[in-house]
Amino acid sequence: MTQAAIELAGLKKRFGDNEIIRGVDLAVREHERHALIGPNGAGKSTLFHLISGLYTPSAGDILLNGRSIGGLPPHLITRRGLSRSFQITTIFPRLSVQENLRIAAMSKHGRRYALFSLARNAKEVNRDTDQLMELVRLSHVRDKFAGDLTYSEQRALEIGMAMGPGADVILLDEPMAGMSREETHYMIDLIRNVTVGKTLLVVEHDMEVVFSLCDRISVLVYGELIATGRPDDIRSNARVQEAYLGEVVA
Amino acid sequence: MLRLITLALVGAVLIAAPLFLEPHSIGVLTTALIAALFAMAFNLLSGRAGMLSFGHAAYFAIGGFAVIHTMQAVESGAIWLPTPLVPLMGGVAGLIGGLGAGFFATRRSGVYFSMVTLALAEMLHALAPNLGGFFGGEVGLTSMRMPWLAFDYGSENQVYFTVLAWTVFGIALLYAYNQTLFGRLTVGLRESERRISFLGYNAHHTKIIVFGVSAMFSGIAGGLLAFATESMNYSMLGMGMSASVVLHTFVGGSTVFLGPALGALIFALFGSLVSDLTKNWLLYQGILFVLIMMFMGDGLAMLWIRIVNECRSRNWDALRQRVLLLIPGLLITVGAITILEVTSKILDQQQYATSVARMNAWPPVSVFGVSWDPTSALTWLLPLVAILVGIGFVYLILARKMQQRTGTIIMSREPAR
Amino acid sequence: MEFIVVSTLNGFVYGLLLFMVSAGLTLIFGMMGVVNFAHASLYMLGAYLSFTITRATNFWVGLLIAPLIVATVGIFIERFMLRRVHGFGHSQQLLLTFGIAFVVEEVVKVFWGNFPIAYRPPGFLSGAAFTIFGTNFPSYRVFVAVVAILLLGMLYLLLQKTRIGIIVRASVQRPAMVSALGHNVPLIFLGVFGVGAWMAGLAGAVGGALLTTSPTMAAEMSVIAFVVVVVGGLGSLLGAFISSLLIGLLTSFSVGFQVSLADLANVFGFGDAARRIGGLLTLDVASLSASLPALLMLIVLLTRPAGLMGDRN
Repeated sequence: MTQAAIELAGLKKRFGDNEIIRGVDLAVREHERHALIGPNGAGKSTLFHLISGLYTPSAGDILLNGRSIGGLPPHLITRRGLSRSFQITTIFPRLSVQENLRIAAMSKHGRRYALFSLARNAKEVNRDTDQLMELVRLSHVRDKFAGDLTYSEQRALEIGMAMGPGADVILLDEPMAGMSREETHYMIDLIRNVTVGKTLLVVEHDMEVVFSLCDRISVLVYGELIATGRPDDIRSNARVQEAYLGEVVA
Repeated sequence: MLRLITLALVGAVLIAAPLFLEPHSIGVLTTALIAALFAMAFNLLSGRAGMLSFGHAAYFAIGGFAVIHTMQAVESGAIWLPTPLVPLMGGVAGLIGGLGAGFFATRRSGVYFSMVTLALAEMLHALAPNLGGFFGGEVGLTSMRMPWLAFDYGSENQVYFTVLAWTVFGIALLYAYNQTLFGRLTVGLRESERRISFLGYNAHHTKIIVFGVSAMFSGIAGGLLAFATESMNYSMLGMGMSASVVLHTFVGGSTVFLGPALGALIFALFGSLVSDLTKNWLLYQGILFVLIMMFMGDGLAMLWIRIVNECRSRNWDALRQRVLLLIPGLLITVGAITILEVTSKILDQQQYATSVARMNAWPPVSVFGVSWDPTSALTWLLPLVAILVGIGFVYLILARKMQQRTGTIIMSREPAR
Repeated sequence: MEFIVVSTLNGFVYGLLLFMVSAGLTLIFGMMGVVNFAHASLYMLGAYLSFTITRATNFWVGLLIAPLIVATVGIFIERFMLRRVHGFGHSQQLLLTFGIAFVVEEVVKVFWGNFPIAYRPPGFLSGAAFTIFGTNFPSYRVFVAVVAILLLGMLYLLLQKTRIGIIVRASVQRPAMVSALGHNVPLIFLGVFGVGAWMAGLAGAVGGALLTTSPTMAAEMSVIAFVVVVVGGLGSLLGAFISSLLIGLLTSFSVGFQVSLADLANVFGFGDAARRIGGLLTLDVASLSASLPALLMLIVLLTRPAGLMGDRN
């Protein structure tokens, strides 16, 4: 069996007296597309914030490729090879699409304090920027302000930003939120494309997306994982149906 | 193209200025250039990185004091340094001070950052008079520029050209900074600090460096002032200096590269013209700043760019409207200035009160070459009517435009910053 | 002993005065996310207006009317200026209030001159309230403390016991939610701004006669009020209260302290070395007193960035 890309061991998070994540154990395999689903308030976003370093765990540990990242600040986790997108679009609205992606790509080359390199002469960075732009299909709006893009273009840019640092493990937080049917199909295709050869962990509400995109699914209910498995297993799992799918149908 | 021509013209005027101007005016221009460099340095932090510092005078003054000490050392022969390079030491001192203060201030963002920078500067300001060694106590420090090669630095012109060279060099470096990868990252910091850290950048360290660079150029500007005036005083650390750079920058426009320099030049030059006529110049500066913040958030440079664009696209409607707005604008301005000046002259306790006591009556005061009788209703009504008529006209003009193009906002502006 | 008791009393009075100013600042921030840089200018206006009104009438009328005028000015600022730029983000609001502070200072200079004015406590409050260890404790200080405590009690009752108070406290926590529940949030904003301005004006009216009334008093108060809210935790009234008293005591104790770091080093046997270095080390605490609050702020920023009672970053 291959090593797990992300491994959560007895992970807990408390806010005051509220335990939001109550002991989660999960192994996301290398190169798989893994979905995290669950009803509202189950703690999916909290779990994402824990893994990506926005919150520090109250107990338990997080391993990235076998090394502990629990409690590290976000920028160090990104440098270790895990990067994420946000549910609320977090781009640079008053910069062009190209500038947005260039800042993302600079990180991959470790150009973090490049005080003495002119941006236009940074060949590798600019090449990667163009590649990213192709990948998320935004080349036609290269010089537009990110804030002036359409909503679905902004969501594509959001994914492009997450891809920029060149991490092998990608976390996407509700990439389809607020999209129409057509846009969703376009986005599934795009995500499938950009995550080739990477490990993907995605939170998503749209079941169609989850079932068509992901290899395995984990179900989180009230801070606990109640099931992990292939889409068919999850679909037929009685506990899942009771706790979650039943709720959706009703 | 137009930009290049404008720049070349400004450059030519600045170089040729000493041919036409008397020494006093050259001195004014020298201070204006220093203010311009200071505003540009300030804007790197406030405009580009989105961190509003309300205590930037600290780094300006630290640079100034460092340069005075250097000049004293050169004067006494303790160290050797060509006189034109002396302002460099201001940059070094500013950088060190900025990195230190930046370490604390950048631990927080937004309003916290602004409050911390203000408190840090005020702490230094309160401390300075007690630290005689570095700040020269209450009286300050003085020194002399040593001759170097063929230059004796005794004339206004030599000082002017040294300051001009440093200002142009500093602004050019700031421009180059913006073109580097780190310069691009700096703007990202303003847009979303969260994204920056999730892209793998250490946001705190990045902010400290930006703070340091901004303080370094502020320090050079302060050093130039010390170099030009051969003196430095702890009052340079005060709130007034910090406030004036904020005013310059945002009146000029923080979103256009040269906007802050424009604001500083306008204020410094205009200030030297009117400060002989009125003692309320600072008040007018403040009112102008407040009005610009309320109605035209991106400053005069952006206004200029809009007008140029409207000329290019032959948007006569927009241009005609601007000209139309000038008339009520002038009415309001004249009315407001009249009221303010008459009031301020009457309230000037020392002069006016004694003449009231002597003559046992309220003598008229002179504003705009017209004499105004404070006891006459006309004195107050006339300007008031001018203001009201002006405001009425503005509403009329803008209302017509709104009718023509429903849905468009009068002053288009960028999204929330 | 005498020093400790008198300094404690003085620090307590000064701290209460600080709280009157910073309470409004922190309340307004909590509700609107705006740090009002012109808040201390309202304090200054309170002092100048009550000085002028007192001269024309008497002390009590000044104390009553001046804060009301200041509240009106505050409401005007919120309704016609801040609200205009509401949609343009926080730095625009910050800059606008900064500009207003600048204008107010210049206006004060036009009307009252660029020098301190002789605003003194009224005759019937200029004596000593009581004598302690041979030191006369001025009645005016007691008066200021009483006013501040009355105000504090009123604020507490208003926030804890009335419906409006509950809405205001909820708005501090979750402005959007309160608005969604159908409350008129803009009106509440206006009200809070008015009350905050009124408190600042009242603080100026009583504080101006205690401290000095000059055009720079706003800038000085501004700095200390910011330190108070940073130390206390922005948006927290309790934090503002605790840190106001802390800073009040710190200031009053340090003013009377003729000890320098070099003296401290002397205890450990290297005082001479410290004296030779000079600079900061030989300054006595008294001359550092103006910068001590800012120093406290730096320590808080290093160890507890959100402030003593703050939970928001």
